[in-house]
Amino acid sequence: MTEERRPIPLKRLPRTGAVRPLALLAPALIVVLVLFGGGLILGLPQSLGYLPAAGMSKISLKHFQRVLFDPDFFSSLGLTLYVAGVSTLIAAALSLLAAMALVESPRWLLFIFQIPLTVPHLVIAIAMAFLLAPSGMVARLFQNLGWISGPGDFPLLINDPFCIGILLTYVWKEIPFMTLMILSALKNSGMEMLDVGRTLNAGPWQRFRYILLPILLPSLGAAGLIVFAYTFGAFEVPYLLGQTYPMSLPVWAYRNYSDVDLAARPEGIAIGIVIAVGVTGCIIASQRLARGQKRRGTVF
Amino acid sequence: MGELILDRLILRFGRRTVVEDFSLKVADGELVSILGPSGVGKTSILKAVAGLLQPAGGKILLDGRPLIGTAPEKRPAVMVFQKPLLFPFLNVEQNIAFGLRMRRLADSKIRRDIASIMELTRLTGLGRRRIHELSGGQQQRVSLARALVVKPAVLLLDEPLSNLDADLRQQMRDLIHKIQARTRITTLFVTHDQAEALAISHRVALLLEGRLRQVGSPRELFHRPADPEVARFFGGTNFLEGRFEKGALHTQVGVFPLPGFNGNGHRLTATIRPEDIVIRERGPYDLEGRVVRTRFEGMATRVWVQSGNTLLVVLTPDSRLTPGQRVRMHLPPEKIHVFPPPPDERRA
Ligand SMILES: Nc1ncnc2c1ncn2[C@@H]1O[C@H](COP(=O)(O)OP(=O)(O)OP(=O)(O)O)[C@@H](O)[C@H]1O
Ligand SMILES: [Mg+2]
Repeated sequence: MTEERRPIPLKRLPRTGAVRPLALLAPALIVVLVLFGGGLILGLPQSLGYLPAAGMSKISLKHFQRVLFDPDFFSSLGLTLYVAGVSTLIAAALSLLAAMALVESPRWLLFIFQIPLTVPHLVIAIAMAFLLAPSGMVARLFQNLGWISGPGDFPLLINDPFCIGILLTYVWKEIPFMTLMILSALKNSGMEMLDVGRTLNAGPWQRFRYILLPILLPSLGAAGLIVFAYTFGAFEVPYLLGQTYPMSLPVWAYRNYSDVDLAARPEGIAIGIVIAVGVTGCIIASQRLARGQKRRGTVF
Repeated sequence: MGELILDRLILRFGRRTVVEDFSLKVADGELVSILGPSGVGKTSILKAVAGLLQPAGGKILLDGRPLIGTAPEKRPAVMVFQKPLLFPFLNVEQNIAFGLRMRRLADSKIRRDIASIMELTRLTGLGRRRIHELSGGQQQRVSLARALVVKPAVLLLDEPLSNLDADLRQQMRDLIHKIQARTRITTLFVTHDQAEALAISHRVALLLEGRLRQVGSPRELFHRPADPEVARFFGGTNFLEGRFEKGALHTQVGVFPLPGFNGNGHRLTATIRPEDIVIRERGPYDLEGRVVRTRFEGMATRVWVQSGNTLLVVLTPDSRLTPGQRVRMHLPPEKIHVFPPPPDERRA
């Protein structure tokens, strides 16, 4: 018997794919389900137009209709998909690299790497604002270094049309999560299979394409879907760092919901429900992936 | 072709030297076992040949060409690991085809090669199976087939049988033996099981404490061990120490004639295997002793006999001996093996 000699701190992670993802998703789910609708049960009647306090009691799909046919809905949806998609893709690509770099690293490095997991999104968003705003620390540093002459020269990274600040926040926050998810797949025979591939004459690119990707894709996909679901439904970061128009779906939903005009409320809830459906779909898909993987015996 | 030469190989992990000055020559078509207890560096040696581990010193030559410096994927050596390590996302056929696909061979050729190798490894009919639908033995055969199909110049087998149960191990051992005889691929076979090494190899290299202790045919290692530790590794525990004079070894327990040996005055250590000592009731005998302990092992009984200050282990078909009993033993002179004296302990 050969003893295991690689440092494997990952043993401490919950063995199932379900616990951690759900725990991490909880804020998003709560925001979506509780804050916007007081729960689906309470929200659904309201989204269907049943709001006696505002003198509305006729049930219909017109609020959903109005939301879905609002041209702003599509720009919001597009923006939300853009933010969720791009941040997930960037985080996924960087996580692949990080996992490969970390697979044989000492325990303490992995520990440091996990720290962002414990920092709330809100805190990171505020930190980003301090750092990247036109009068932020980076801009001032650049000015002191003489690289720019004033705040006006600094590129717009906060409340900007490309959502750079939001993307940075999400990428920074999601990389450790995704990396840890795929690290466990990599440690579970992944590195040894790469060695098998090497002795079978697979070059670097072939090993990446025909061994690493197939091994990691299921967990990368599962992690990616969770991150995507989270960013799709999360409110606080785009609320803080986003531009005023178009808004991301959660922000738009919140604006409608908290509008002084009570008539806007059902639409806010309708948006919330659309978001909830999307998030739930992603989670189900993610669970499917993770389960398929477990059956094949590669991961977790 | 595939003549493999390892020349004064040194392997280190950090500052810890695992293998020191390891030299071994494997002829083309030969199967050599590297035998040794757990942790001596057997896997590390194979990894060095495969290129997965960078030696701290020494040379590795294949048909005279140095391998060190060549990337593992460019070396004509394939390694089969202790675990099957099959790709779970491919089926049996695709797993076996992996190495051929990496070489971008034509589909028709790949299909032909796979079919013949699957027949050789008795996997015919399992091509479409998923990996998790295979038994442990089948998985290990797929792993072997995946390596054989690329027709490597050197095949490196790292305890491929150690995860199988005894019965299956025997079968696989015979299969590997047969395939190697048929394909004549130069093979380095790593194992910690002496019986396995003796049964399968043309030659055995015994590795103890990171150093090569003896290389030779299975018979040589078994019957003519180079030193007491080698003997001990193969289950030899009887050592006789004494001085050689007038054609016999004079020890504290008795005098043993050693015909055909000369070198008067030398201090010698000799050994005799447990199964070579004869316990007899009648006739001439060399030693007398008292049975201390017995252990019934099926085909034979292991008996510990105290004779003077020496404890001898005897393997005898007689299962009726009991502790306390006095026995007479005959040590056939031709079965007594004298260790070559270490150079510094020789006496004029
Ligand atoms: N990656 C590594 N880092 C540090 N030490 C290692 C590493 N791999 C192996 N070693 C050490 O090197 C020594 C030899 O290891 P190796 O795996 O070659 O032994 P082995 O003879 O194959 O043992 P076994 O029969 O248990 O497989 C062991 O003491 C082991 O602890
Ligand atoms: Mg080993």
